[in-house]
Amino acid sequence: MRVSSRRLGVYAVALAFAIVMNFILPRLMPGSPVDAMVAQLGPRATPAAVEAIKARFGAVDQPMLWQFVDYVKGLATLDLGVSVKYYPQTVVQVLGRSTLWTVFLVTTAIIFSLCVGVVLGAISAWRRGGRFDTIVSPLSVIMISVPPVIVALTTLFVFAVSLRWFPVGYAYDPNLDPAFDFTFIGSVFAHAILPVLTLSPFLIGEFQTTMRSSMISVLGEDYVTMARAKGLSHLTVMFGYGARNAMLPVLTNLALMLGAVFGGSIVTEIVFNYPGLGLTLYTASIARDYPVIQGQLLLMTLATLGANFLVDIIYGLVDPRLREAV
Amino acid sequence: MRLSKSAIRNNSMRAGFAAATALTALVVFGTGGAAAESVLTMHIEEQSSWVQNFNPFDLAGRRQSTMDFIYEPLVIFNAEDGGKPVFRLATDYKFSGDMKSVTYTLRPGLKWSDGQPLTSADVKYTIDLMLKNPALDTVGVGETIASVEAPSATEVRIDLKAVNSDFPETLADLAVVPEHIWKDVSDPVAFKNEKPVGSGPMTELRRFTPQVYEQCRNPNYWDAASLHVDCLRLPQISGNDQMLAILPEGNMDWIGSFIPQIDKTFVALDPDHNGYWQPPAETVAFQMNFKSGNEGNLEAYKDLNFRHAFSLAMDRASMVDIAGFGYPVVNEHATGLPPRFETWRNKGAEGDKDAFMSFDTEKANKILDGAGYKKGADGFRTTPSGKPIAFPIIVPNGWTDWIDAVQIAVEGLRAAGINASVATPEYEQWRKQIIDGSFEVVMNSRADGATPFRGYYQSLSTAYGGRITGAPSRYSNPNLDALFDQYLKATSEDDHKKIFNDIQLLIADDFPVVPVFNGQGYQFSSKRFTGWVTDKDPVMNPEDHDNNRMRLMHLLRLKPV
Repeated sequence: MRVSSRRLGVYAVALAFAIVMNFILPRLMPGSPVDAMVAQLGPRATPAAVEAIKARFGAVDQPMLWQFVDYVKGLATLDLGVSVKYYPQTVVQVLGRSTLWTVFLVTTAIIFSLCVGVVLGAISAWRRGGRFDTIVSPLSVIMISVPPVIVALTTLFVFAVSLRWFPVGYAYDPNLDPAFDFTFIGSVFAHAILPVLTLSPFLIGEFQTTMRSSMISVLGEDYVTMARAKGLSHLTVMFGYGARNAMLPVLTNLALMLGAVFGGSIVTEIVFNYPGLGLTLYTASIARDYPVIQGQLLLMTLATLGANFLVDIIYGLVDPRLREAV
Repeated sequence: MRLSKSAIRNNSMRAGFAAATALTALVVFGTGGAAAESVLTMHIEEQSSWVQNFNPFDLAGRRQSTMDFIYEPLVIFNAEDGGKPVFRLATDYKFSGDMKSVTYTLRPGLKWSDGQPLTSADVKYTIDLMLKNPALDTVGVGETIASVEAPSATEVRIDLKAVNSDFPETLADLAVVPEHIWKDVSDPVAFKNEKPVGSGPMTELRRFTPQVYEQCRNPNYWDAASLHVDCLRLPQISGNDQMLAILPEGNMDWIGSFIPQIDKTFVALDPDHNGYWQPPAETVAFQMNFKSGNEGNLEAYKDLNFRHAFSLAMDRASMVDIAGFGYPVVNEHATGLPPRFETWRNKGAEGDKDAFMSFDTEKANKILDGAGYKKGADGFRTTPSGKPIAFPIIVPNGWTDWIDAVQIAVEGLRAAGINASVATPEYEQWRKQIIDGSFEVVMNSRADGATPFRGYYQSLSTAYGGRITGAPSRYSNPNLDALFDQYLKATSEDDHKKIFNDIQLLIADDFPVVPVFNGQGYQFSSKRFTGWVTDKDPVMNPEDHDNNRMRLMHLLRLKPV
């Protein structure tokens, strides 16, 4: 595929840029991991002990160029180094235990919001100006504008602390051991409900708005008028002719929003003490744990690039016109 | 966490495991299970995920339940009981005639949790390991110990580098490790000690997940008769806010957190059982950098008049009531002596000498006017030689109660025409500025020991100045150093008290730091366990933080209901 190879080139450049930025950014923060490490030792640590620790982690005091060479070498072998905060665990171990939870959280939130948002958007466009539209569309704008931290704290306080309908933290009940049974899976779902509901309003708002505007333009197309003239049912016209074709911009939007979703999941995970990437990134930043921050940012970059690539492919499948043009 | 700021931010639920099936939408910690089992749920530290690390030499990475509960000290000193020794693995220690060596006698028949005998060889091995490997030296043995011998299976003789009557107290932080396990560890610094073999009451790890871990009864514990708790359960908690969110579940037994408006947010949840006590502990004081690179500030810090005016600008009552929600205790003495060391107090170092410990900005202004600190056009004073004074007071980001206290201090200082401000670097940065001496003024606490001596020695002696976070001011006074030296060489309690009286006099007169209050944090629920120490019977410090060795004795007091 000639077209795809040009596209791949763009991705390669983006990836290289991300790798370099990923190296530079954590080092622009004040403080170093050795300072952070020594700080954790507390007042009892003698100067000799501090020196010994510094010598041990001397690698982080190397000149920048060597650090960069080591960093690229590590990437090539998927060796992301050792965490400073969770020493002696490796970055792969630290990220490994949290990635799954974030992927679970974010995917669930996206699928849920996509279903709700697309349907709401389609109905609003179908009956634009009607009562449903005048309530739902402004509501979407509100949902987009409210910061996740407010949604998270409010839901935590109302539903978990006051009403106690849902747990206040963790990914599953700490008393349970991971197992493929009803109790455990039920616990995982119960613990995910509030975080997912916290991530969703923003997404639903975005999907509803995009879907509505794209649907309105699709509904003006001749083939929709034709379908109506044929006497097809409202539902068939709305979803089979309108929504199906109006989905494309929503998919584009989804790929663009992935970064924002991860951002929102950081706040959500901190508030709900959810053991995902967001909470890990937060604690790693405070501890100046360069290796973990780097690994984490790289992972997120790859995820975003990968998602965009996936959307490019899906485009081709959903809209045959784009197969040649891209 | 409640800011137990002396150390790093060192910072309970009966759960039946047998019946942990009825879990639906709520975090329900099962109750029931085997009737005989008592599980105490506690909170010591805040982490975003538990890492299985019980290496006692890894101060930064070890779980905070490693000391005392897995590795029992030789002897603990109880500050609430006049610093009296509580003998644990050791039954006695004796200094030699020249005070240059000290011999510990171990309790006969001690065993490790795996059943192997615990002997003086293990103690010698542990100290030698630390001497050989400074990265493991969590106690500072490299500076105090010359060599160690094991003349018999129950005797350990430690030869000191210099006479040091304070030595046994520092050795309370020593975790004796089993030689038969550790001799095969190739890299003791990186060793995570995931399945610890220890000497304390709670050595067996029954369960370890990123969200919770359980430490259970040592089958070979020598003092098993005193131990009534079967397991410690430590759920992962990531911060103060989360603690507030889980308190309504009523599953925590032993807590060491900072809970704002505690009567409303904690006690009111279960008034019959929930309680708290703030054992007035470490003295929190404002400390100026006597090696500051800023000429104007330095000139001011070095002037006793300025330090007196600084103290008069401190609204201590508001700091305690507003910033600390009334938990800490105001310190109104120029010596800064913590209230729990009442028996050490020198009345001669009080009274008139405390004249500058009240909140009186008018008097502060008068003193500064009289000493030649003229106000400029901007309303701020300059030094007598005309240099500007302006300094930030640093306090770690997130230590909300302390930040509020510093804010109150800054308001007072500004009312006295002193250009002070608040800066809130991250803890790591805060610490770095203290150690490298790049800060101006800091609000800080010092780690006290079983006697008041240690706190003063480690915060104001030339030897410690700028080397540990407890000694930021870099104060250096040959007279005080001489007194400290006398104290270390003295052997009788009478001599110690006499010398300490002189120390108090000197500090009250020279007023190197500005004490403001004393405070710490401890909360409990008597729903499942009784025996909690409170102000009615303050026999020991009941905090569960890693810097309080007496937490071991407190655990042994607790009995299931």
